[in-house]
Amino acid sequence: MKPAASILLLTTLTGFAYGLLAWIGLYGVAGASGAAKTLVLAGTGIVLVLATLGLIASALHLGRKERAWRAISQWRSSWLSREGLAALLTYPIVLGYAWVEYRAGSTVQARLLGAAATLAALATVYCTAMIYASLKPIRQWHNPHTAPDYLIYALFSGATLLALLRTIVFGTAGWAALLAAFGALGALIAKLAYWRHVDAQSPLATLASAIGLAKGTEARPLDAPHFSENFILREMGFQIARRHAGKLRRIALALGFGLPLLLSVLAALDVLPLLSTSLAVACAALGLLTERWLFFAQATHVAALYYGRSI
Amino acid sequence: MTQVAKPAPGARKLGLVIDLDTCVGCHACAVNCKEWNTGGEAGRLPDYDPYGSEPDGVWFNRIHSYESGADGLARTVNFPRSCLHCENPLCVTVCPTGASFKRAEDGIVLINTDICIGCKLCSWACPYGAREFDETNGVMRKCTLCVDRIYDQTLPEAEREPACVATCPAKARHFGDLADPQSKVSQLVSERGGVDLLADLGYRPTNKYLPPRQAQIPSTPREAPARSGSGVGAALLKLLDKALSR
Repeated sequence: MKPAASILLLTTLTGFAYGLLAWIGLYGVAGASGAAKTLVLAGTGIVLVLATLGLIASALHLGRKERAWRAISQWRSSWLSREGLAALLTYPIVLGYAWVEYRAGSTVQARLLGAAATLAALATVYCTAMIYASLKPIRQWHNPHTAPDYLIYALFSGATLLALLRTIVFGTAGWAALLAAFGALGALIAKLAYWRHVDAQSPLATLASAIGLAKGTEARPLDAPHFSENFILREMGFQIARRHAGKLRRIALALGFGLPLLLSVLAALDVLPLLSTSLAVACAALGLLTERWLFFAQATHVAALYYGRSI
Repeated sequence: MTQVAKPAPGARKLGLVIDLDTCVGCHACAVNCKEWNTGGEAGRLPDYDPYGSEPDGVWFNRIHSYESGADGLARTVNFPRSCLHCENPLCVTVCPTGASFKRAEDGIVLINTDICIGCKLCSWACPYGAREFDETNGVMRKCTLCVDRIYDQTLPEAEREPACVATCPAKARHFGDLADPQSKVSQLVSERGGVDLLADLGYRPTNKYLPPRQAQIPSTPREAPARSGSGVGAALLKLLDKALSR
């Protein structure tokens, strides 16, 4: 599948945003006071900026951007529609939560809105993941790993942001750095398990079954319908840089999860906390973008079979 | 609506039956499809760089040729590929706007290009590669089963069939109601063992393909053309061949 820059940016940015919101909401549930209130207010601001940037990136992917508002109408069947709706519903919740924290904090409203913010954040990420997990023709997406993985990456990237934020507000990352370290470890294990799973899968179909020949019949492409590339081949038959996949996987592992794990442990030990948490965020962002690129570039679509591609 | 409405009792299931045994792979159906749909109600079907080195564009129907079997029973299978108007169309349910829909009265899957946002998700959901993105208009396009032709009362009745069916010189394409067991297309499917493509994926396509008949007479492979051997004799012959070829 073609890794469109707009979609890579969307899913990575919203992962950071809603991951951070999921953690920030818990402050309200626990009852934030004093400097923690500052952290909640700064956090919700960052969430709004990142999520909005992500949504703008996603709109850039559309052929008719001016019609984007129509995308929230089919929530009863479409995960894309549900994602849009969940993302929009999160705005008033975040704003309400920030307002209540700003006015009072540690009230029943703050607890309720904090819990609502956490749930809305997780629900939005889940909807994003289900867009991919529900697509039957793509075996690398339509599997039990996709939805939990997106949640894990979001919570991990959000935790790296939280650790940075906490360092800025309190001068030390404290438990937030441990959270980020455990997040990195969880994300690392999830990614390895995902690769193990998809590498062991067998193709969803054979060319014979795609063209209606009896099972076991051998079929080979003879003539393609057209000499040049078309939409189907560009979108569903993406093959560029597949040969670098092994190297890119190692880069994603090291940059996305390994280094943030190490840096978060350093931050937890109070070794240059501002530098280590900032670097952890930067590494996680680059690593997750690489991981997301691979998630698309290594996904194969059944329709590519018609062009003799292996899936 | 994006949700697939339950077909009304007695509703028709319009679709195509394509005979892979008689299809000669001439691309006439694809050409006539392009011709009709670029001028018909569906509006222009764009071409990009049509006279350049990398011509590209939107087609509702594309013809592949494959080779199947081995040795004396190997054969060419020409395979026209277009929307199958599935009964379980994931392309419809994933659509966030409701632009993609399946008609309750006859099962035709269509796109309302006036509200399509061009997110391309439907093309990802289709395992048959039947939906293509229209770069010029920023929307998705697909086979309409010539809905603007099959119901056109101003056309003579015999012409109220999809353009691809009307033009097929090998009569390999058949159009009709697959919900009616007595229809010509349903009869063909039951007689010839018509199949669903990628049946395991569960899309339940309406269009059926009639598999190629089993070859009755194995054709013996042609004798390999004589190749020149080695040695002095062969070298002399090569020289002679060169001289004679001048």
